[in-house]
Order: sequence, then C-alpha cells, then structure tokens
Amino acid sequence: MSSKSVIQAGRATAKKTISPETKQSILGLAMVLPSFAILLIVVIIPIVQSFILSLSNDAGGYDLSRYAYLFTDKGMRGNIVFTLRITAITCAAVLLVSYSLAIYMRFNQGPIVDLIRRTYMIPLFIPGVIATYGLINLLGNHGWLSRILETVGVTLPRIIFDEKGIIIANLWFNIPFTTMLLSSALAGIPSSVIESAKDVGVGRLRLFTRFIFPLSYKTFLVALTFVFMGVIGSFTAPFLIGANSPQMLGVSMQQVFSVFQEREQAAAIAFFSFLLCSVLGAFYIRSMAEEEKGKM
Amino acid sequence: MLWYWKHVGPRRIVEFILLTIFAIFFAGPLVNLLVLAFSEKWNYPNVLPQIWGFKWWEFVLAKDDIVSSISLSFLIATLVTLLSIVVCIPAAYAFARLQFPLKRMFLFSFLLTHAFPKMGLYVSIAVLFYQIGLMNTLLGVVLIHMINVLMFMTWIPTAAFRNVHRAQEESARDVGASPFKVFRSITLPMAMPGIVVASIFTFLNSLDEAQGTFLVGIPDFKTMPIVMYSIISDFPSSAGAVFSIILTLPTIILLVAAQRLVSADVLASGFQMK
Repeated sequence: MSSKSVIQAGRATAKKTISPETKQSILGLAMVLPSFAILLIVVIIPIVQSFILSLSNDAGGYDLSRYAYLFTDKGMRGNIVFTLRITAITCAAVLLVSYSLAIYMRFNQGPIVDLIRRTYMIPLFIPGVIATYGLINLLGNHGWLSRILETVGVTLPRIIFDEKGIIIANLWFNIPFTTMLLSSALAGIPSSVIESAKDVGVGRLRLFTRFIFPLSYKTFLVALTFVFMGVIGSFTAPFLIGANSPQMLGVSMQQVFSVFQEREQAAAIAFFSFLLCSVLGAFYIRSMAEEEKGKM
Repeated sequence: MLWYWKHVGPRRIVEFILLTIFAIFFAGPLVNLLVLAFSEKWNYPNVLPQIWGFKWWEFVLAKDDIVSSISLSFLIATLVTLLSIVVCIPAAYAFARLQFPLKRMFLFSFLLTHAFPKMGLYVSIAVLFYQIGLMNTLLGVVLIHMINVLMFMTWIPTAAFRNVHRAQEESARDVGASPFKVFRSITLPMAMPGIVVASIFTFLNSLDEAQGTFLVGIPDFKTMPIVMYSIISDFPSSAGAVFSIILTLPTIILLVAAQRLVSADVLASGFQMK
C-alpha cells in the first residue's frame, strides 16, 4: 500500500469512529461514575432527603415545627449550648497546642524531636472506642491517675462523666491530626525564608506573625474546620464519657433516632448540625477548589 | 543530677517537662489498658496490680460472640477495602491523567464526605436506609463504612498518579509498549506506595468504625467496636482491656509493616489539596 492510501484509509476510519478526545471523555466518565454513585447514595441523597423529612410536621404538612422544637425544648436548647461551648473550648485548645508542637518540630533538631516526629501520629490509628476506654480507666473515679496521686495526697477532681472528660478525649483525638496537617504545611515553608528573616534581625513573634502564620493560615483554617466538625459530629467519646444531661448533639440525635424512633426529629437535629458547620464546610470546599485550579 | 539540670539551662527544663506531660497524656491511657489486661487482681488504692496473669485473656477468648465479632470485623474491613480499590483507583487514575467533562466538579464532590459533621451525616443515611430497607444489612454497613474512606482513597492515589512523570510513560510508549503495558509496568508500580497507604488506612478505618455501624448495623452486625460498647458497661475493666488490645493489634501490625510509607505529607494529601 502506498503512503497516500494509508492516510486516506486513516481519514476514513476517523470519520466513522469517534475522535480520541470524545473517547477519553467517555473513558474518564466511566472510571469516575462508580465512585460518584456511592457518593450519591451515602452523602447527597441522604442530605437532601433528611432536609425534606425535617420539614414535615405531625399533621402531614410541611413547616418549621421540628426546628422550632430545637429552641423551645429546654433540654434540647441546653444540648445545643453545651455542644457549642465544648466545641469552642476544644478548637482553641487543640489549635494552640498543635500549632506550638508543629512549629517546635519544624524548627528544632535533635533526638527528642525525632522521637516526637516518629510517634505523634500513633493516636490517629488507635480506635476511638479504645482510647476512650483507656481514658475512662485512667482518669475515672478510682482510676490509675487517682491511685497514683493518692500516694502523694492529692485528690483528683471528677473528670469522667463530666464535660472535662469530653474535652480531654477531644484533645486526645484531635491534636495528632491537626499537628499532622499543620506540620505538612510548615514543611512547605522554605528554610531560606526563615533564615534570611532571622539574619536581618526579625524577632520570634514577628517571625511568626509576618512569615509563618501568613504562609500557613490556609491549612490553619482547614484544621479548624476538621476540629470543629469533628467535635460537633462526635459520638463515641461523649456517648461513653459524657453525663446524661446535657448531651452533645451527636449523642442526642442518636437517642432521638434509635431510642425514641423519631426519625423526622432526628433528621432536623442532623440538618441543624449541618447548618452549624455550613460556613466552615463551604470555606473548606472553596479553598480546596482554589488550590486545585492551577493543576488541571 | 542537679548539676546536670543547671548545666542544660531553664529552656531545656521547660521543654522536658512539657514533653513529659505530652507523653503521659497520649501514652497514659494505652499503658493503663496494657497493665489492666495482665492483672488478675488490682484493688483500690494499689498503684500496681497485686496479682498478674492471663485469666482475663482466657475469659475473653472463650466468649463466642466476642470471637465472632472479630471475624465479622475483618470480613467487613476486607469487603470495604476491596470495593474501595475497585471503585476509587480507576477514578484516581482518570483524575490524574484523563480529560473529561465536569472533571473538577467530580473531584471536589468527594470533599462532601468531609464537609458535614459525621453523626449528622450518619443519622441522615440511617433515615434513608430505613426507607429503602438497608438497615441491619451487610450492604448497609459496608456503604456507611465507605463514607470515611472515599475521599482519601481517591485523593491519595490521585496525588500518587500525578507524581509519576509523564516523560517516563512517554518514553515507554516510544519504544513500542501498549498503553496497558505502560500502566502495568510503569505507572502502577510508581504509584503503588500511595495506593498501599490509602488501602491500609481504608482497612484500619473500617476496622475501627463504630458510630455508623452502631446506627445502621444494630442488632445483627456487631463488629469489634460495637461489642466494645457493651463490654465497657457489662464486663470488668480487665476484660475490656484485653479486648482493647485484640482490637488494636491489627492496627499496630499493619502500621509497623507500612512504617516506611506513612508520612505526614502522604496523609495530609488525603484531606487537602496542596
């Protein structure tokens, strides 16, 4: 066959079959759709549906009565205030400790730093139930800590079945994850920037406010988002450690759903917890989308 | 001893105290469980057990429902891991290498799994599952375990595929390798560490998942963490400590095995774009 006829034959097939771009589009969509289908079933449909269900009232119509209940019922209102307070305290404490630790690990060397670097992520992989159980045994009434402190004559205050216990458990779960996010962000700050700032005599505080924080504040906000949502949506620790009342929202909605079998009311509490997190959630998605823009 | 502290200076001392508090805070609960698991008698106010032994190990391992929960947990974790590999790895490859319509929209839709508080999401799912009859089914439990892993199971491998240099793939194509052969012998092996890390997390995540299973799997799907809930209230603390160690063991084994691959950077790429 001459080269001319090969080209002609090629053109003929190109006309009959689909172009490579279309082929790639179809292939790409086919590869993505199965995971998107799961996402649809486990996230998108449930959220839309729980929103619709939460608007239905006892009479069969639609109104905001399920939401009104959240604020008129005294117990429920107490739960909401309690949840917000625990969340605020946890967020502040976690970010303070994690930031300090991440900075410490970034700008110090030595065997101790290496040891922390190798071990600080371990709690991330310990099952939540186990860690909570360990905390109950350690900090509880007649627990190990109280036995140890007893020998030097100190009495441990009540921690378990109290908000102190929930906060401590939240710190235990959230500090390693937040530290991980922040140290990965700090690792991205070039040492040369810090070194040259030090050379021209910038103090520690200014170094932080002018260089380190601005270069990592986005991750800081992502970390805040994760801690905030993690605490509002938590169940295991408050379920096992918390007092009967007031409850964290996660425990409260599980009770309403499983014990009282009021699915509409549970849906309303769930959707209310989404609203509480909506600002941070939207921020998280937006900032990730911006970050990605340059790569596509 | 004292001269040593004077020599190192106050900064080191403060550093040392803070780190000690830190270590006790994180290791304390776990060490406590370890001691509890091997104690046969430990009355208040003794600081250490009076009698050490394996009594509670025999007690726990003789309970049928506890042993069956272990195999159920491993079955579910294996199913979740296989399903997420089959579903997410192709998607990750498509995100990294192919051009298709609505690509960004699809990529960011996975963020939705982490943009809602977990228990709220689980309750919403339970409401749906109740209507379509997925409550108390294996499929329902597997699906609820998928939520937590969808994002990093897609994003970590996407980052891994992106880090494979196109030049290497292209040079393989130039010497006549088929696209599939290039994927098999160049792209996949180079992205493997990321895929392995993501799979291990998926497995561990499923093994440890308690809240969602508690909501949609009760009463038939009692995985290890669910059994743990009842052990905490029904059994002496030494029995709970033994079971805690059994539940944590797979985590420790897998992490030690994968130690080389796990780093803050790889992990962080599963939760944020960098």
